Amino acid sequence: MIIWDVRKVARYKVFLLMRFAWFVVQVSVFAVLISYLVAIRPSTASGISYYEYYLFGAYTALLFSISMFRGYEIAEEFEEGIIEYQLSLPVRRRILAIGRTIGGGIASFIYTLPMMLFILIMLRISNPLLIAIAMISALAFSIGIVGLAINIVFGLKSGDKTDILFGVVDALLVRLSTIFYPLPFLSTIPAYFYAALVNPLSSLADFLRALFLFEDLKAFLYLSQEQMISYIAGLAIGLSVLAMLFIERKAEGGGWR
Amino acid sequence: MRIASMGYARGLYIVMKRDLDRFWKYKWWLAGLITMNLTDLFIFALIFNNIVNRAYINNYLLFLAPGVTAIATFASAFSIGREVGVEVRRGYTQYLLSLPLTRMQLSMGRILGGAVRGLIYQIPFILLLIILHGKLPTPAEAGVIVITSVMLTISMSSLSIVISTAVRSFDLQATMRSFTYFVLFFFSNVFYPDALISRYFPHILYTMISNNPVSIATSIYRGIFTYNASIEDPLILLLKLASWCIVFLIMGSIFYLRNLTH
Repeated sequence: MIIWDVRKVARYKVFLLMRFAWFVVQVSVFAVLISYLVAIRPSTASGISYYEYYLFGAYTALLFSISMFRGYEIAEEFEEGIIEYQLSLPVRRRILAIGRTIGGGIASFIYTLPMMLFILIMLRISNPLLIAIAMISALAFSIGIVGLAINIVFGLKSGDKTDILFGVVDALLVRLSTIFYPLPFLSTIPAYFYAALVNPLSSLADFLRALFLFEDLKAFLYLSQEQMISYIAGLAIGLSVLAMLFIERKAEGGGWR
Repeated sequence: MRIASMGYARGLYIVMKRDLDRFWKYKWWLAGLITMNLTDLFIFALIFNNIVNRAYINNYLLFLAPGVTAIATFASAFSIGREVGVEVRRGYTQYLLSLPLTRMQLSMGRILGGAVRGLIYQIPFILLLIILHGKLPTPAEAGVIVITSVMLTISMSSLSIVISTAVRSFDLQATMRSFTYFVLFFFSNVFYPDALISRYFPHILYTMISNNPVSIATSIYRGIFTYNASIEDPLILLLKLASWCIVFLIMGSIFYLRNLTH
């Protein structure tokens, strides 16, 4: 089941190229100009600017969007009847569900790997241990988000409603997180602050920042690295299990409806 | 679609009306779009206002609002491209060709239908601009706003038809739409002032960014609603936008007609 999803990555070469192209535009135009526009300077010692802060936010937002899209695609496959074929395989439903969630997560992570490498090269980061930790955390996050997407799709059972909710969830979660702005600057609006604090996107973006730029950004990090990684792992496990339960109970031959 | 023999304008009207009627079927989709654009204003802009350099922008919410108004037309006007794309894939164009309408009526009707959708969607954002800035445009300014919005939505609607008919694969169409959206969004002055772009970017890039149709429309809205906004001559801006509008309109009709022919 995992291979089923991972193999599809190779089919989406143009998709991947375009995603990479707009990521490059995002970090070479938008991020540069926004960086000059903001007044905050995380550290004076190392010359780190808002630009470096934003890079990991941009990566997290991209990974989130692609993972949501993958989850939606998996559900669409079910709607198109592929579930009939998959249910006929000598595989238990539980394995099918967990395989598709993990497979979707791995595929999303592979899609965004060029972007992560691009950022690491830009920041001249070469520590293999830290890079491995970053990759594992991004993979766990991606699996969790694919699980979330599958839960939404099976919960709503409507293509149109899912489309809309995905758009709204994407807009709200990205804006109500620390993707664009450090947590302390959200404290002026308490509702936004607490929403950003429990937002999984904040956890991954801040964890990656802490992993590579801790000394420069520690003033902006509210939770400890242990708390953030526990949250990401909990999210991945919790949402995958939930997706598994949904698929076990709701997927039937004749369409997932 | 029930059509008897008719004049050119009536044919156009019927095609547009059909697209407009279909637009109201997507109420939830519209609600989702509005939420996304309002999120940009009332979450992103409000929080970003705390970290923005006051030397460049005094109030980021007011600065971003005209840009969001301009970019808002994209998603709604682009919905027509999505529908044309579905029609191309399903071979629905054969039905359209059997109607007593000329190909040009169909082509122009679809483009204008998309533009009307964009305009309807944009009205609440224009009202929001009036409320946020506390300024009612003069009749002349209102005229400029209407002309700008019409030209921008025609441009976006035509562009979306070009994208949707250039390729047949749904995935590729969706990816190209998103790519176009991001390019128009990031290569524009929606988020950052022209002064900043010209200061830090090469002149050629500045010229490209400031002449993007979304940037031109944003500059016009900012010029009308923001006091002391230093912008180019509004007439020059309108002429530039008209050029984009004509280019996209021609491209949109050529691509749509090609789609009907093949």
